[in-house]
Amino acid sequence: MSATKSIHPEEKFKADKMGSRLFKVGLALGGAFLILSIILGASKSDHWRRFLHAYVIGWGFVMSIAVGSLFFVLSHHVARAKWGIVLRRLAEFMSLTIPFLGIVGLGFLIPVLAGNQNLYFWTEPTLHNETHPLWHHMHHKATWLSPWFFAVRYVVYFALFSGLAIYFARKSFAMDEAKDEAEAFKIWDHLRVASGPAIVVFALTTVFFATDLFMTFSPTWYSTIYAVNWFAGAMLATYCTLALLGRTLQQYGKLQHSITVEHYHDIGKYMFGWTFFWIYTAFSQFMLQWYGNMPEETVFYNYRMFSEWKWISLAVLFGQWAFPYLCLVTRWTKRILPLLMFFAVWQLVFHWVDLYWNIMPNAEWTVVGGHQMGPLAGVPEKHQIGFHAVDVTLLLAMVGLFIAGLGRVMKGNLMPVKDPKLGEALAFENY
Amino acid sequence: MSTAHDNGAGDRPNGNGSDDQNEEMHGLLAEFETPGALVAAARKVKNAGYTEFDCYSPFPVHGIDPAMGIQRTKLPLVIFAGGLTGLFLGTLMQWWMNAYNWPWNVAGKPTWSIPANVPISYETTILLSVLTTFFGMWAANKLPQVWHPFFRLDRFAKVTDDGFFLGVEASDKRFELEQTKQLLVAAGATHVEECYVDARPEARNVPKWIWAAMTIMTMLALIPVALVFKARATKSPDPHYHVFSDMDYQPKAKSDQAFAEFADGRANRGELPGTVARGHLKADDAYYRGLANGEWITGLPAQLEVTPALVDRGQERYNIYCAPCHGYDGAGQGIIPARVAGIGGAWPARNLTDPKAGVIQMRNGQLFNTISNGFNSMMGYASQIPVEDRWAIVLYVRALQRSQNAAESELPAGHQVR
Repeated sequence: MSATKSIHPEEKFKADKMGSRLFKVGLALGGAFLILSIILGASKSDHWRRFLHAYVIGWGFVMSIAVGSLFFVLSHHVARAKWGIVLRRLAEFMSLTIPFLGIVGLGFLIPVLAGNQNLYFWTEPTLHNETHPLWHHMHHKATWLSPWFFAVRYVVYFALFSGLAIYFARKSFAMDEAKDEAEAFKIWDHLRVASGPAIVVFALTTVFFATDLFMTFSPTWYSTIYAVNWFAGAMLATYCTLALLGRTLQQYGKLQHSITVEHYHDIGKYMFGWTFFWIYTAFSQFMLQWYGNMPEETVFYNYRMFSEWKWISLAVLFGQWAFPYLCLVTRWTKRILPLLMFFAVWQLVFHWVDLYWNIMPNAEWTVVGGHQMGPLAGVPEKHQIGFHAVDVTLLLAMVGLFIAGLGRVMKGNLMPVKDPKLGEALAFENY
Repeated sequence: MSTAHDNGAGDRPNGNGSDDQNEEMHGLLAEFETPGALVAAARKVKNAGYTEFDCYSPFPVHGIDPAMGIQRTKLPLVIFAGGLTGLFLGTLMQWWMNAYNWPWNVAGKPTWSIPANVPISYETTILLSVLTTFFGMWAANKLPQVWHPFFRLDRFAKVTDDGFFLGVEASDKRFELEQTKQLLVAAGATHVEECYVDARPEARNVPKWIWAAMTIMTMLALIPVALVFKARATKSPDPHYHVFSDMDYQPKAKSDQAFAEFADGRANRGELPGTVARGHLKADDAYYRGLANGEWITGLPAQLEVTPALVDRGQERYNIYCAPCHGYDGAGQGIIPARVAGIGGAWPARNLTDPKAGVIQMRNGQLFNTISNGFNSMMGYASQIPVEDRWAIVLYVRALQRSQNAAESELPAGHQVR
């Protein structure tokens, strides 16, 4: 009943050399900045503390896009969404970088395992003494927050994420090779059914992943919505990256007839939606802790509101929410592509600032009364941002590695050409 | 009542196609089989130049607006204005209630603070946006419309089920009965019907009993409002209504009250053994007790350094807490010893600056301890003076001792006695 369209006869939907081109550019960018970052990190004699924190932030930035892309794929299958089918293959490519990013993550996991106690405060050995003031906060978490168990969970998370990403991408690739429409429909229906349980696995993995990797930087602080907030930022970054990736491919002549302004309009709607969901979760966390006024919770905001970090807090509030939210509310912003691309870049930059704001304040540890009290201790007013060049060079290195990983998996068709509902996606219009 | 007819108008007594003298043609109603056919037909009718026509379907049909030539709605702008109004009114309401009309201390929070107001302002923004959407849509579609001429056609009942209809009104400039009928049939209509309506104003009046019922219901609805205004304007010795009594009578223990559930019968709980409240650890011996390895320290604790600001702070605190007994110069001749002596009593205060009185010989840590915990008849000031201020006072007492025992030759140039 719905309108359908067939693929434009002159459409270039083969990846051809795009993959190897992206791989080379990404590898050059990533390699150069990684070497520069290592030199910068080594020259700062802080036992790699700044380097490792910046490493996790940059890595978390690209990882959030890969994880968000996996959710894009799953959510479109589970909802039988049609508009995004022209973009689904791009999201599948991005989700396939997860195994590679798991290897990149060894850059901080191995130091933690090897006994570097400057990244996660819970690796501090004196915390296990009963005389340490934080002992009663930490002793019941000692097993969970031990390097070996942390590494085991890291492997489990990546096994689950990679498994889902590879399964859904492989089945989708198999659809391209289907002999007839009946076979393609069978795969399509199978993926729809499988996506339900897969989303449950994805949700649990994401929550534990975000809590373990990013929230344990302040191991005595509690927030049950933290992982949801991380997920909201990840989804925002994913839709921004999808818009930029689609536009980039179109600049090289690919998919020019398939991805239309209607699809960008929908990406824009999601950017608007996730921008709001992000502030909704971020504010929920803030307001409940502000109102509850319990010291073990407010400590997180104490150091972000009453030190130099207050400027970053305000930048995140206005940069990632107020300004783009008001601008993205209209239809024009989403349909005038240069404007949409501006906001895609803008939101990606502020997604990184958000991660920076979440993690970097934990890089400053304080000794109080002879005890190593870790992050968020001491006098807030004396807490400094202490910006260092390695913060940015590692972000660029990770973006480069992500592009390289994306180029490596970008093969075959750039959209699921035999998807039984592709025709409806191509004819999609916003009324 | 007349019914609509499929055949021509030739056999009608009044010549306009209806049995009833008072009825005139309202328009033509055409039925289509599918939403797609309806969209195609709407495009055709629009292209033929018609403007006074409408489509009727059981559900919203994608693409019908451009096919009918309907402009994009301006409703989003109105909704945006509605949302901003909700944001403003919600915030104003909270300011008026919490900060202006009835400021009430809740858990020590400021009566006017943005974080606490965000959820309510957020909800009022949504409320007014939604109401604007709902009623704006009504207004734009001329709703509520309890009756429509097409209701007279039995076939039109299918519009809530599986019928897709296009109605052309006779008021359209291009309307010609036979021509329009042909156009609709050519556009794929499976069925075309004429529709007649009594156009006289008296035939359209709302029945009197409906007016009466509405008036009575409006009056009844005003009773609760009137009761509220009466309650606000008059005084009463009766207790107020507890609509939600659990707010007034809460099953909870209040501090310093009896509470049977606990073994000791008291609501207050002590500190748990082995715990320290945040900020009360005081593990730093030098800072909190003036001790290092069991000995009084001689310098200042590591957290503090000697600055003019700290000495000034010490002077200010000394003049408030210490000078009443020890005097502004530290000689022990403050206002209290002087007054007690004036009525024949004795209130000795130690001379802080006299080398023979022994205070100069005390180490800094001991001085700090004396201020904190008292000495002989002097009480401790730990509960009144914060730690850092006590160290500032120690510093100022040292400055007093130095100045009161200085030789003339030590004074800066220009200050010596000539």
